[in-house]
Amino acid sequence: MTAYVAEVALLTVVVLLCWLGVLGMWRMKEPTQALHYLSLPATAGAILLTIAVLIAQGPRQTFWKVALITLILLLTNSVVAHATARAFRERKLGHWEPREGDPMEIVREENTP
Amino acid sequence: MNIWLLAAVGVSASLVPCADMCLRGTPERRLVGLEMGSLIVTLALVLFAIGFGRTLFVDMPLAQALMSFGGGLVFARFLGKHL
Repeated sequence: MTAYVAEVALLTVVVLLCWLGVLGMWRMKEPTQALHYLSLPATAGAILLTIAVLIAQGPRQTFWKVALITLILLLTNSVVAHATARAFRERKLGHWEPREGDPMEIVREENTP
Repeated sequence: MNIWLLAAVGVSASLVPCADMCLRGTPERRLVGLEMGSLIVTLALVLFAIGFGRTLFVDMPLAQALMSFGGGLVFARFLGKHL
């Protein structure tokens, strides 16, 4: 019974994380901002799904496959997001390396010694 | 219908905003929608495989996760260089 409640709770959070990520992405006007919301289902969603599979199935082959999927998502999501953001910048400016005169926002903390 | 299938339906429903992003707007927004869509499909396939009791089909989201990585990189490269 406790395991079932844990499964329900974990899967509910997975669904909510997916919806939160998708709606956040949908609402953002800038594509670079929208790109940040990929991480919600790819990290927390996938990890919680793996835990739910572990509770439901035990440490069997299915669990290891889902763990491998989560590992792949964790490793590749950051690479794909970075490559995509770089492509956006390249498309906008014609290059991706920072150059003199580029419209870059530089944030400095004031009152620092 | 068990809890896994309900979760799969809930996750799959979130593909609708992804489709909206893929079908409208600038190429940048379309690419983000595509990447989110492939991520959601991966999670939904895991949930469907377990929900239907066909755990052998977990290989499909495994292949999807690997292929969407390559696909995302190719589309990003294409968008940055050629489109």
